[in-house]
Amino acid sequence: MGLKTKLNIILLAIFFLLPGKAYAASVSDIAKQLVCQCGCNMILLNCSHGECGSRTEMNAIIQQKLSQGESETSIVQSFVSRYGEQVLASPPKRGFNLTAWITPFAAIIFGAGGIYLALMAWVKRGRQVPAPVETRSEEMDDEYRRRVDRELQRFSEKGFR
Amino acid sequence: MTDIGNTSLLLALAAAIYSAVAYITGTRKRNPGVVASARRSLIAVFGLVSLAELVLLFALLTHNFRIEYVASYTNRDLSPAYLISALWAGNAGSLLFWAWLLSLFSLITVLQKRDIGRELVPYAASVAMITQVFFIFVILAVSNPFDTLTFTPADGRGLNPLLENPGMIIHPPSLLAGYVALTIPFAFAIAALVTGRLGDEWILTVRRWTLMAWLLLGVGNILGAWWAYVELGWGGYWAWDPVENAGLLPWLVATAFLHSMMMQRRRGMLKVWNMLLVILSFTLALFGTFITRSGIISSVHTFAESRLGPFFLVFISISLIGSLILLYYRSEELKGEAEMESLVSRESTFLFNNLLLVGAAFAIFLGTVFPMISEAVRGVKISVGSPFFNQVNGPIFLAILILTGICSLIGWRRASLRNLVRHFLLPVVLSVLLAVVLYITGVREGIALVAFPVCFFVLFTIIYEWIRGIRARHRMKGENYARAFWNLVAANRPRYGGYIVHISIILISIGVIGSSIYDSEKEASLLPGDSVNIKNYTLTFENMDHFQTASKMVVSATLSVQNRGKSIGTVVPEKYFHNTYEQPVTEVAIRSTPLEDLYVILIGWDQNGATSFKVLINPLVSWIWIGGWVFILGGLIAFWPERRKSAGRGEPVKE
Repeated sequence: MGLKTKLNIILLAIFFLLPGKAYAASVSDIAKQLVCQCGCNMILLNCSHGECGSRTEMNAIIQQKLSQGESETSIVQSFVSRYGEQVLASPPKRGFNLTAWITPFAAIIFGAGGIYLALMAWVKRGRQVPAPVETRSEEMDDEYRRRVDRELQRFSEKGFR
Repeated sequence: MTDIGNTSLLLALAAAIYSAVAYITGTRKRNPGVVASARRSLIAVFGLVSLAELVLLFALLTHNFRIEYVASYTNRDLSPAYLISALWAGNAGSLLFWAWLLSLFSLITVLQKRDIGRELVPYAASVAMITQVFFIFVILAVSNPFDTLTFTPADGRGLNPLLENPGMIIHPPSLLAGYVALTIPFAFAIAALVTGRLGDEWILTVRRWTLMAWLLLGVGNILGAWWAYVELGWGGYWAWDPVENAGLLPWLVATAFLHSMMMQRRRGMLKVWNMLLVILSFTLALFGTFITRSGIISSVHTFAESRLGPFFLVFISISLIGSLILLYYRSEELKGEAEMESLVSRESTFLFNNLLLVGAAFAIFLGTVFPMISEAVRGVKISVGSPFFNQVNGPIFLAILILTGICSLIGWRRASLRNLVRHFLLPVVLSVLLAVVLYITGVREGIALVAFPVCFFVLFTIIYEWIRGIRARHRMKGENYARAFWNLVAANRPRYGGYIVHISIILISIGVIGSSIYDSEKEASLLPGDSVNIKNYTLTFENMDHFQTASKMVVSATLSVQNRGKSIGTVVPEKYFHNTYEQPVTEVAIRSTPLEDLYVILIGWDQNGATSFKVLINPLVSWIWIGGWVFILGGLIAFWPERRKSAGRGEPVKE
């Protein structure tokens, strides 16, 4: 496995395993996870429409339930049972919704595997072509110089590097 | 007057159909006369669609409210600049604008003098005209800006006040032009597939078109972010709204294509992949227009819903499936001459960068359409919002950044281990050092500890590469450093323009990371004289004011601001109540410094005079806008045409 692939996998892992902070939930912690239901389609935390009825109401409910000592999960759940799953800002990581979370990474890892195999094949093919023998003959230098000139000209004429 | 518009569109439709057919038959039968007539028809399409566009513009400027479109999107109060921007404010208008841009780009394509790719032009022009036929048909059949009302209202409904922002004059046309410009690379790709001229010529022909489309999309996206930040008033710049995503998708795929075309050009590799990317980017451009204009996915951009959806879906499917079949048919001939010397080479980093860019696009696409999938599969409505996109794309984007840094340190073809160590040692050690310093100075967030050093690493590698180039020129050619710098860029604009774009991406990333990790916010309900503290700021609510202008009532609140106990002036967040629109519009107050933005939103008030505000501190946001300017600079340097034949460079190449 290539160094970079390994590095990428490790980084991915780090991101998923980063420990969440331990804290007492605040209104904004919960508002972050919900979508405002007035039709503005905004995350409740980001909704700044004072005139939007549901913003005020939802925030008040969160505040009230928090002061009654309800847990973050159960407050979020109460909104789900009232408005359905669409009240959640992102689909919960379980059941069918898991496909949305996993498919992108599965596709990338699958693709990385494919690239790795292709690279191996190409390198193998590249090595079968006999490596140029190092000679210092005049003709080689001339031929080489001509090729460099030609390539340089092609590049500069066609603006492409 | 609407007759002129409708007639010219009808004639344009006929001319486009003729041009599309005649280009093919004329070329097939080797009949120059027919090809010439196809070309003249294409020019006529441009003239006719331009006429239709001018008629609409004239109607907008002269307040011809008899025309439904004019009455729906303008009124007498609108300034001329916004009257012009009404050209793309609604569905019908923006489709006409699409068609006009396409006719313009097609015209440029056939008129351009070219050394290579001439044989592809007739087929490419035909593909462009087929697309044109679709758009003109949809305009005439479904969404016509020249539809009239049965009566003439005294005044129009006016522009959606959210769209009354300078950014809105440039953002939509920039994005639209980016979408439309992607048609041209697609047209040449199809031309190459049809003619079997599958060498480098089509890639060479489309490079600058792709670059232009990509640059316009990039500018459009950044302007959209800026508009959201200053106008939508929720405190952020990117909400992962379906329409925002629709603008980002083709940009990501075009970015991948701009890199992978270098692989085909240099190594003859990835020919099929490049075709796929071009087909994909065009399809995504159509998808973007479809999402924006069909109202199928609810979003902040749903300014109008319409019956356009099915038409677009059919056209998208036809172009996608048709081109894939064509590609499959030619895939044997597209087999690359791929061979590589080493696993560790710039080629490999390009492959992985392509994978990640397309992977990110896939993740965003999936998230955007997942609510529909969920409803179809489970019958459950769900929302897919920013938490999903941030969590999924965060690691992918970070990996892309790391590759950006690694890539410029690894040479083409083969990198020896010794070289690798020599080039990587310093930047890696310095980046780790930076992480340690950040940790010691109190940074504890894992993401910041990883992401900031990564940004530094990439920046270092680019500057390092630059310094190496300058020193080499200084040594070899005896140029002084300033001159060497200038000549280095001038000698290879695509490359150094690309590096400047990389720097801009780093600047934007720093802004995004800083503002998403370290933002803080507070909501407070204040009576006059009350204060609220947030970080080192103290805001004191001074007074409320309201006044009437011609088109709206303005309610404004004045707050005095102290930073670490020192007065730094006042901020005035406002709310507008427009006469013609029910929804009030929030006008935020932003105090921007390179380090952080103080962002104040007036939320509402009650009868007792208590006024609620939301105050946010958004760190490093200005870096995003600075990055935007650098992005434009780099893109333009890469895009700038090279002289076709420069004197003193030997003989011009003969075809």
